[in-house]
Amino acid sequence: MNVTQGRIYINPALILFGATLLGAFSQPTFGQNPKLDIKNVELIAKKASEVVDVNLDGALLKLAAKFMTAEDDREGLEIVKNLKGIYVKNFEFDKPGEYSQADVEAIRGQLQKPSWSRIVSAQSKHEGETTEIYLMTAPDGGAVLGMAIINAEPKELTVVNIVGPIDIDKLSALEGKMGIPHLSKDAKESTKKSEGHHEKQK
Amino acid sequence: MRNRNRLLARAILIFALLQFLPATAVAGDPEFHAVVDRMSAYYQKRPMRGMCLLSFIANRFTPHGVGQFQMAIFDDITSPRTAPWEELESSLQGLVGPDYQPFVWARDNRSGDLSVIYVRESGKKSFEMLIDSIDSTDTVLMKMRLNSDAMREWMDEPVEKGKGSGHRVDSSAGK
Repeated sequence: MNVTQGRIYINPALILFGATLLGAFSQPTFGQNPKLDIKNVELIAKKASEVVDVNLDGALLKLAAKFMTAEDDREGLEIVKNLKGIYVKNFEFDKPGEYSQADVEAIRGQLQKPSWSRIVSAQSKHEGETTEIYLMTAPDGGAVLGMAIINAEPKELTVVNIVGPIDIDKLSALEGKMGIPHLSKDAKESTKKSEGHHEKQK
Repeated sequence: MRNRNRLLARAILIFALLQFLPATAVAGDPEFHAVVDRMSAYYQKRPMRGMCLLSFIANRFTPHGVGQFQMAIFDDITSPRTAPWEELESSLQGLVGPDYQPFVWARDNRSGDLSVIYVRESGKKSFEMLIDSIDSTDTVLMKMRLNSDAMREWMDEPVEKGKGSGHRVDSSAGK
């Protein structure tokens, strides 16, 4: 910025830069996406003995919905109908302690505020299992745009990414299906508490 | 006794003839044939001979709900399994064709084997599964038809079923 004979001259390039910066930061989610990049988590993948990726989106998700015909699948079907995708990444290790919490940061790093918020963090000391559930909500804090579940066991790590609107209180309807792990007792209790908290907020 | 000998002789003759036929000529339906051809061009190699007979035998041992098993083995190839993920994903998708959707990727770091499982709907209550299992020097392409029950099992437990799917050729679809 130059001041010449009482006039203020602002470099147009500076204006352009400022506008770009403002535009970028005015995006409600700072570029965060409900679909996580869980395919390229090479740090953990190299340590695992087996890595399995499950992709259920588009026609495959519709196909999965067709199999939810049982009476107790009704709730699950209602959820799946509105989803865009379910992505699961499972790492299996030969021995306990072959991956560290720092390794999991590659995934947690994508679950940052303001878009993502951790709603459940449960630890089962007896089974050595920890479960974290994250929700991504719309900028106005209303609709849920996606969910992430990190289920860590001594010899297994599972990351589930659900893209689309999903109710936390209906998550149990999808447990044990489409690669979504069964949540531990502690995680379920924490989920219930979280539901209560959400209800109060509403 | 004479009849049995004649039958055995005929079986040996058919088996011998199969060895002289181009593998793709006996490799099942035209669509599978087309995928095999694309793979041949990609690997610059023809699949092993006698696959039709092997597929025929394997069909006798497929689990309940799985049928029309076909396979093609490409040996002594330059394995693409170490290629960058996106590159490998797009090249494999190009080989199997756009109709198949990638469902499960399973990598066994102990053996270095990679299995990619593609699925598509084929009729009202029938599904087709294509498994490409790649190791350091070979790739095995398997196609099979699954009924609703077998497919439901995959949908319920894709992680468990995906683990080791490439090794257990005879039971991968219905274990």
